[in-house]
Amino acid sequence: MLKLRNISKTYGRAQVKAVDNVNLDIRPGEIFGFLGPNGAGKTTTIKMIVGLLKPDEGVITIDGVNVWEEPLKAKSMISYVPDNPEIYDRLKGIEYLNFIADMYGVSKDDRRKKLDYYLELFNIKDAVGDIIASYSHGMKQKLVLTSALLNDPKLFILDEPMVGLDPKSAFNLKEIMRKMCDEGRIVFFSTHVLEVAERLCDRIAIINKGKIIAMGTMEELRSHAEERESLEKIFLELTE
Amino acid sequence: MMRKIWSLIKTDFNTTFGLSSIGYSIKNKKNRWQLILFGIAMLTLIPSYVFMVGSLSSMYDIYAQIGQKSMFLLSGFLSAQILVFIFGLLYVMSKYYFSNDLAQLVPLPIKPSYIIGSKFATLMISEYLTSLPIILPFIIIYGSKNGEGPLYWIYSLFLILFLPVAPLVLASIVVMFFMKYTNIGARKDLIRTISAVFFIILMIYVQMKIQTLAQKSIVQGSDFLVSLIKDSNLLVKRLGVSFPPAQWAALTLANNLSISGATNLIIFIGVAIISFLLMIFLSEYLFFDGLIGNIEVSATKGRGKKIDTSELSRETKPYLALAKKELIMLFKTPIYLINAIGGVIMFPIILVMTNSMGGDESLSAIIEVMGVESGYITLGCIGFVTALGMINCVGCTTFSREGKCFWIQRTLPIRVEDQIIGRVLSSLGVQGLGIIALLVSSIFIVKLDIVSIVLIIILGLLGSIPMTQIGMIIDILRPMLNWDNPQKAMKQNLNVLISLGAGTLYLGGLVLLVINIIDKFYISFIYGLLALIFILSALVLFKVLKILISKQFQLLE
Repeated sequence: MLKLRNISKTYGRAQVKAVDNVNLDIRPGEIFGFLGPNGAGKTTTIKMIVGLLKPDEGVITIDGVNVWEEPLKAKSMISYVPDNPEIYDRLKGIEYLNFIADMYGVSKDDRRKKLDYYLELFNIKDAVGDIIASYSHGMKQKLVLTSALLNDPKLFILDEPMVGLDPKSAFNLKEIMRKMCDEGRIVFFSTHVLEVAERLCDRIAIINKGKIIAMGTMEELRSHAEERESLEKIFLELTE
Repeated sequence: MMRKIWSLIKTDFNTTFGLSSIGYSIKNKKNRWQLILFGIAMLTLIPSYVFMVGSLSSMYDIYAQIGQKSMFLLSGFLSAQILVFIFGLLYVMSKYYFSNDLAQLVPLPIKPSYIIGSKFATLMISEYLTSLPIILPFIIIYGSKNGEGPLYWIYSLFLILFLPVAPLVLASIVVMFFMKYTNIGARKDLIRTISAVFFIILMIYVQMKIQTLAQKSIVQGSDFLVSLIKDSNLLVKRLGVSFPPAQWAALTLANNLSISGATNLIIFIGVAIISFLLMIFLSEYLFFDGLIGNIEVSATKGRGKKIDTSELSRETKPYLALAKKELIMLFKTPIYLINAIGGVIMFPIILVMTNSMGGDESLSAIIEVMGVESGYITLGCIGFVTALGMINCVGCTTFSREGKCFWIQRTLPIRVEDQIIGRVLSSLGVQGLGIIALLVSSIFIVKLDIVSIVLIIILGLLGSIPMTQIGMIIDILRPMLNWDNPQKAMKQNLNVLISLGAGTLYLGGLVLLVINIIDKFYISFIYGLLALIFILSALVLFKVLKILISKQFQLLE
């Protein structure tokens, strides 16, 4: 269970709240979509969950563990894939994967099984012997995805995961997200691509100017909107 | 055309020195607090500097006694320009060839000479930071002790302004040729780095060879004393041959009232301008050839040897994995390789070269004649290795080097203890290479017995731990994460300078302590005492680091 209680964050002296009193309860086995226009506070919220940005107010817990009070315990349950993965480009792909696995303490057998599976799935098995600087954006994205899946995270957080992926990998990622839910994990992701959210998510939250303006299943969102059609219409209507 | 150049220079200035982001920082309260802290840290550098200036003043008196005051000026200009040249080689290499803005600049419709010209202009500013602290005390001491008039100070202004041009042009041309002709093969990064290290050692060797030859030729002449009295600029004219611009500068100031002063000034400025134009002209032919191969990265795209996941996927303890990652990054990033690893290998070799080439006054002769106890040499070597622990820059840039990848460290469940141990271990790995270089090159000067060697290795490594930790403390307080060129995390990182200051204080304190007690105790007691101090300070600094890292990992944005 991921819980956000009264989370707020203000940047600099501007006193404009990037995130304003956000509350979320996300249950195990849920795919949760986080939507909003540019600069709405999506990435800020995600960064506060994964430990990159300390909230000014509020509490974030995963399975009762406070993310900012017991960071080590919390982080070992989380995997995070940022929107623009900057990774050590002088390492070889396999060196990076091993580094991440060492940090999570993944056992040797587990590591081999997962690597065999995901490297094959994302079609980067032949590239992991090269240094990361030689990778395309999409390949880097796939490497980070693989590294994030090595530790069986209870909470899988992705910031704009579909950007830069080829159609086949995007499809595979969606399958993985589905499978993780079935195993009782939480998948939390932000996106601009409304079709993906509409088809994939169990529940959706729409954030605008730091505030959650709508939250619920697709059905619930539709029932609140005036024009009960696509998510796109609802989104445009709400964030106007 | 001028608009293009001006715009290039402006943008480069802004990105290099982060002008826009400084403005942003000052507005932010928390950062302002950091700036104040930083200012205080800078103050720790002052004692060492004051000491240096003090000894310069007595150097002037010595030259004045033998009637060769101008030699004092030459020393200043020579050391400033040689340092500008050596730093220039590193700056030029990274700025012209390894900076990330090239990916944006090269596709734009601008000539290579514009790119080089604008980058040169920014480098000049960085080089003033190198040359000013050196040349200013020389000029001020000479001017005030000699009671020089206004013309002296006006000439000085011009000389200071143009001082970095000639050595930086020389460095640019050397690097451009170097990059063009080493642009070969898949392992060109490695080839380049190794040859660069050798090249720098060779340059220093040649410099010193010229110096010693010139010295000998002066002294050997039978009428040496006579001509010394006749010509008060004799030493400058003879010794200045190793770098003529420094000679012209010294002669300008020494003869500022006569026509020869003005002539030398004109030659100095003229040569600077002409050499700059020559470099711009050459850049049209050299720059892109060295560059193109640098942007491409060799990838096998699966055609290489297959990776067997079972073979490579073994478990490693987190701190060891972290140390391994740090070392791979240090070895595979050319800038880090030259600065950190090149540094610890070059310094011992240079130390030995200066001592084995000085002729009669070499260290080995002194040691033999005076019958210095071998314990003193061992202590000296331990001090040297400990100093390398700061000079290698591994500790004081360890977090800065993470750069935009810092999120990885902050989102992974890594214990703070593992962070500290892993990063210290990577520094010790580099230190190991330095110790090997020191021991191998010291064979040429002194005979070290096995006990001394063991002592140097153990105490040297122990001493390197607190040195690395001091650097880490400074780096975690203000990590420089937002860079596009690894050089910024390394040599253009002020944390390096602050750590050098703090490290000098720590080591200087220990040296004073040892000097004071060396006659009163057995040497083995001193070894034991040093080990105890190193271990105790390492433990205390470990505790401090633990608190700071936990705090900063949460607070940084």
